Amino acid sequence: MSDQGLRIAGLYCNVAGNEILKGIDLVVEPGKVHALMGPNGSGKSTLAFSLTGHPQYDVTKGTVTLDGEDLLALAADKRARAGLFLSFQYPAAIPGVKVANFLHAARQAERPGDLPPAKFRALLLEKMELLGMDPSFMGRYLNDGFSGGEKKRLEMLQLAVLAPKYAVLDETDSGLDVDALKAVGESIGALRASDEGRDTGFLIITHYPRILQHVKADVVHVMIDGRIVKTGGEDLALRIEREGYDTIREEIGAIA
Amino acid sequence: MQLPSATIPETELHRRLQGLDATLLPLKDRAAALDRFLATPSGRQRPSRFWRVDLDAIAPNPETISSDAVTVRVENAPDRVVACDLATAAREYADLLSRAFGTTDAAATKFGALARAFAGTGCFVYVPADYDCAETIGITYSVASNAVAFCYTVVLLEHGARATVLERYAGGANAFVCAITEAVTGESSDLTCAAYQRLDAGARFFVTRAALPGRDAKIAWASADFGADLTVGDVSATVAQPGIEAAVTSLFFPTGSQHVDIVSTVDHAVGESSSRTHVKSAAAGSGQARYLGNIRIAANAQGTDSSLRDDALLLSQRAHIDSVPALEISANDVKAYHGATVGALDEEQIFYLESRGIDRTAAERMIALGFFEPAIAAFPTETLREGLREALRAKVL
Repeated sequence: MSDQGLRIAGLYCNVAGNEILKGIDLVVEPGKVHALMGPNGSGKSTLAFSLTGHPQYDVTKGTVTLDGEDLLALAADKRARAGLFLSFQYPAAIPGVKVANFLHAARQAERPGDLPPAKFRALLLEKMELLGMDPSFMGRYLNDGFSGGEKKRLEMLQLAVLAPKYAVLDETDSGLDVDALKAVGESIGALRASDEGRDTGFLIITHYPRILQHVKADVVHVMIDGRIVKTGGEDLALRIEREGYDTIREEIGAIA
Repeated sequence: MQLPSATIPETELHRRLQGLDATLLPLKDRAAALDRFLATPSGRQRPSRFWRVDLDAIAPNPETISSDAVTVRVENAPDRVVACDLATAAREYADLLSRAFGTTDAAATKFGALARAFAGTGCFVYVPADYDCAETIGITYSVASNAVAFCYTVVLLEHGARATVLERYAGGANAFVCAITEAVTGESSDLTCAAYQRLDAGARFFVTRAALPGRDAKIAWASADFGADLTVGDVSATVAQPGIEAAVTSLFFPTGSQHVDIVSTVDHAVGESSSRTHVKSAAAGSGQARYLGNIRIAANAQGTDSSLRDDALLLSQRAHIDSVPALEISANDVKAYHGATVGALDEEQIFYLESRGIDRTAAERMIALGFFEPAIAAFPTETLREGLREALRAKVL
């Protein structure tokens, strides 16, 4: 169907009165992996937050639809229930709220009553093993005192447990060591191989192409100064790895 | 029985002292305590724009003082432990009782003096040396409506003994409830003394809790004050022996038009001791609270390690919490940590939960309940902890 996909059209977004996104057009199709690359400050995280409905991100123009549903008209929780997931670069710590209770509440909110508690627990343990997480994680307080790597693994655990229609991963690879990155890649691979996650579309936001060694991107976009300036295949990521963003910047300058 | 009127002034309250158990406490001592109540300022917040209660003007109505205003129930006391009412203790365990009853600073506060003057209904718990009491000993004070009630708990642990005592205060719609808990413990003992106050609407609750632990002893206070219209609490530990580990945990959550005024004091008179004070409070509706946290470290109390952590959560525009930490440190070789926060729910935390499909109201509830959770761990028995969570859920709404 033509309205399938996470469809972003002409999106402008202000943060604290500054225009950060200057007309983003991007379509993530079900089951596809899009990588969004760009230097620091290019607006990648702003795109992620404006999609999820953070109150400090003020969308001034444009549309975003999720399988035809007007995402921008929905509050943040309803966007999640519509099937959008954001893996946070810096997830909030919530002392006193146990990981297990939080995950159960989130799954219940997004997929009400679909799993009895025992099955849900089995699902959790299975996904945690895949991510190399100790079961004791379940009894810890949400992100409270977690290392950077532990936070990222917990974000990936949520992705696996919620199996959203579309997942935006905001620099999930940053701060991860090689083993953790591999575990994250395997977890995403397992989700994509499962019935629940077969059609999940991904928007993977990253500085570095190294996560793309573990999750193969169908499309690579380069974002500079609030605009997508180049779109291509995997070779574009390899070029960035070789040359950095400077040659792309020069190219755009030459065109403009 | 009646003493010469020269020593007992004829106020209505003084007259009510006559006929109280003289074996437990002679009339002249009762009269002296009552004089202290009348003469001592509360030292509390004066009425102001935020604070509507004048604690110095509060006194019980003498007409409604009655010995059957409160019933005491004791549960789970093993055979080797003495757990009896105060009158019985005064007759049968006079020597043991006298080692604890009136030996702490409890009667030094205004309302502590009042509770001492009218000491009668209450409970004495005695745990012999090296006895490890695994069960939590429960003491429940059930207060009659509209009554003036006095509750007096005395806990004495011998050296090496270990026990957990849980006091519950319930009932008492529109009652005036004045309570004391004194805890005296021996060397290397370990006592946890928890209290859960969930008095009915209209009640006024005045409680003084004072501890005098022995050398190398562990002493832990844990209080949850959720009921009553007005709660005035004073909890203290006197650290006068080396090696003591003291802990003070306090939870309160005024909602509607409830007032809470809590003072905690840990007095380190000697060094090589430690204390942890942990306060978690929230206020909603027009709820008001004041917390004053004292840590005193005397000049010769070197090597003391103390901390005071106080977090307050404001859940409505009209709610108000004043939080005043007061560290008086006269020694130079000590560790003293202090941290306090007062604020509304964190928007980033709310957004994080919303981004996982949880609606705002549910997200706020989860965060507010989670806020108390680390302090709930200080309370004994899963039944009590679940009861506290249940009460908090009802308050957070």
